[in-house]
Amino acid sequence: MTTSDGTVQGVTQIFGNQPRNRAFNVVLLAEGFTAAEQGAFDTAAAAFVTAFTGTPPFDELSPAVNVFRVNVASTDSGADDPASAGGTGAVVRTYFDATFGGNGIRRLLLVNATTALTVAAAQVPEVTTVLVVVNSTVYGGAGGSVGTYSLATGATEIAIHEMGHTAFGLADEYPYYAGGDETGHDHHPATEPSEPNVTIQSTRATLKWAWAVDAATAIPTMSNPDCSTVDSRPSPVPTGTVGAFEGAHYYHCGAYRPEFDCKMRNLSVPFCRVCRQVIWNRLWPLSVLDARARTPISVVARYPEHLDVFAVASDGRTMSDWWDQSVGWAGWFHVSGGFASPGGAGSPVTSVARYAGHLDLFVVGTDNRVWSAWWDQSTGWSGWFRIGSLVARPGSTVTVVSRYADHLDLFTTASDGRVMSTWWDARSGWAEWFQLGGGVAAPGATVTAVARYPFHLDVFTVGTDNRVWSTWWDERTGWAGWFQVGGQTARPDSTVTVVARHPDQLDLFTTAPDGRIVSTWWNARSGWGTWFQVSGGVASAGSPVTAVARYSDHLDLFVIGTDNRVYSTWWNESSGWAGWFHVAGGVGKPGGQVAAISRVAEHLDVFTVGTDSRVWSTWWDGSGGWAGGWFQVAVT
Amino acid sequence: MSEPDETATPPESAVRFIFEYDGDDVRLVSQQRVDVAVTGFDLHQERALPPGHYVEVRGADGTPLAAVPVRGELGSSLEVFPEDPGEPITRTEVDRPHGAFTVVLPAADLAQQVAVLRVPPAARPAEGDTGPAPAPSEARARATELATFPVELG
Repeated sequence: MTTSDGTVQGVTQIFGNQPRNRAFNVVLLAEGFTAAEQGAFDTAAAAFVTAFTGTPPFDELSPAVNVFRVNVASTDSGADDPASAGGTGAVVRTYFDATFGGNGIRRLLLVNATTALTVAAAQVPEVTTVLVVVNSTVYGGAGGSVGTYSLATGATEIAIHEMGHTAFGLADEYPYYAGGDETGHDHHPATEPSEPNVTIQSTRATLKWAWAVDAATAIPTMSNPDCSTVDSRPSPVPTGTVGAFEGAHYYHCGAYRPEFDCKMRNLSVPFCRVCRQVIWNRLWPLSVLDARARTPISVVARYPEHLDVFAVASDGRTMSDWWDQSVGWAGWFHVSGGFASPGGAGSPVTSVARYAGHLDLFVVGTDNRVWSAWWDQSTGWSGWFRIGSLVARPGSTVTVVSRYADHLDLFTTASDGRVMSTWWDARSGWAEWFQLGGGVAAPGATVTAVARYPFHLDVFTVGTDNRVWSTWWDERTGWAGWFQVGGQTARPDSTVTVVARHPDQLDLFTTAPDGRIVSTWWNARSGWGTWFQVSGGVASAGSPVTAVARYSDHLDLFVIGTDNRVYSTWWNESSGWAGWFHVAGGVGKPGGQVAAISRVAEHLDVFTVGTDSRVWSTWWDGSGGWAGGWFQVAVT
Repeated sequence: MSEPDETATPPESAVRFIFEYDGDDVRLVSQQRVDVAVTGFDLHQERALPPGHYVEVRGADGTPLAAVPVRGELGSSLEVFPEDPGEPITRTEVDRPHGAFTVVLPAADLAQQVAVLRVPPAARPAEGDTGPAPAPSEARARATELATFPVELG
């Protein structure tokens, strides 16, 4: 009963065509099938594919999935079936040494996991999850790093449930340990489980899956009135309602599950919505992102060796990817179930790092309300929560500035164009939205802001007269009135990009109605300069100008040109403005945006949505200049 | 963009480890370079490690490079499934856990050591005090190193 009791015949891919290095690769191993019985294994493997790919959400995720069968011929047929566990007493010679009766329980079907993993990795080095199909009609199976199941009716359900644990990190949602009659499982310990689909929290604000809970759903949705036993009452809400149902993670009380039922609670029922989302976020990062064409990308360097990138998918999902110098790109994932408003160029996800271990995100949602989420290195992602009751202009940008680590200032436009602001302070929480000095922005214009000092803000937008307007706030004097910045006429939907190279200097960039890229400046000693066209540059209609100050005497600009190529220029105090040049052969979307960041002074990372709707990136480094080309932002 | 520059992604930049365990005794069965994308779903690079088991690769100076969770293994119980779908799934205790597991980690070129870690649950908080999650350094301080092996990929 060892590997001498059979031979590995070979591997066959039976489902999918995703590149193996970026796929969820399921490997099925034949156990207890003799050479003459390999056809039966082939049939069982095909039946698994049908069951697996028909189970939501795998039915939608099949483009990321490959399934392989590894034909292994055993000397004998079946599996050991010890009489001591109520079996037939059969002892057979098979490759993976399968046996029913694990721990004295006949249905517990175990194999030599080391052999199974070794064979799977040898046949499919990119394997994600391993399942052993045992040639017996006796019902059985088991979980662990190697799932097992027999040919008995319904046993494939065991495999799919077990994948929930081993591949997706999901917890068991059933509210008992040994069927409900056990002792010591009345109350869950007061330690929060790490799995995403169970919690000890029972308030709306602290639920891990708050993003999926309708405002009208009571929290907790169902409480167990008798913790000495399992709550056997029917659900008080319709099937599919996400809430907080008491009884989960092996305990009658004190732990909550997201829905009344789920495949992680009972076989033969669908995965709940939260588990489906977790599965999505396991498989999605293996794919490229189909991005909304003109929605700006946001990028943050929390520290020099790390980037967090935020974009919006074509269906509005709020997406993120991150890069770290030691491990590369992590792959796109859906941030806390959020969706962005599709109006105009589409609302972007804006982001700020108040400190190295924390991110704050903002977006206008599909309800045109302003939503926020945060990530903290100690707790991971929060759910999205609404900031006040402001109804924003569809697709508008929420600009965020952090003047210091315990403070945020937000700016956006209301549905009627009013320029609105609010703030958050660690001591007082969120303030109410207020209009900035009667300001009204042109349709599609964004509101931009910069903090030259921790106690000072400068705010800019394009007014309804299509002129550039500004106001400022100072801690000592409060908000100033709006004033027009020179006589420059701007595209009504343009962005006034502002950068402060040093605290006494502002540089502004925007686009004229004919697309000319124009700039002006303000200096504490000399006041406002006059508007001028930057090196003859003309932008694609609607494309904003991106500006980065790597040094106090240096600026880098990026834009999509009228030929949809990605262009850049720079300004240096000693040499003035350079001519525009095409960046590494890059081509973007008409009216698209180029995001750029300098995580160290002699380095630039640049991002845009390409003509294929994928997010692309390239970089410039002081030591080697521009990279030879662009690469698609996905998983490394 | 129609001509991607994929040269930034080296082949076989990850490493697959297969471990075998018997109780708390962990043995490294194999290590193999693989061309597998390791996504942020699995990587626990800087987030505080929640309770559970992890495999971590470290650089020459012992600096953690990346960690991924070991899911569904090294536990002291097994799941038993009902033949009748209406019956409950149950768990059964095992006297001495044994088995095997595999993980894939990035940073194959930098990795010098691989460690198997156990992070126990944090101390029980006071009644009604859900409190903030522990800082990453606290979680690391609680971690027990079950085994460490040299990374030898040739």
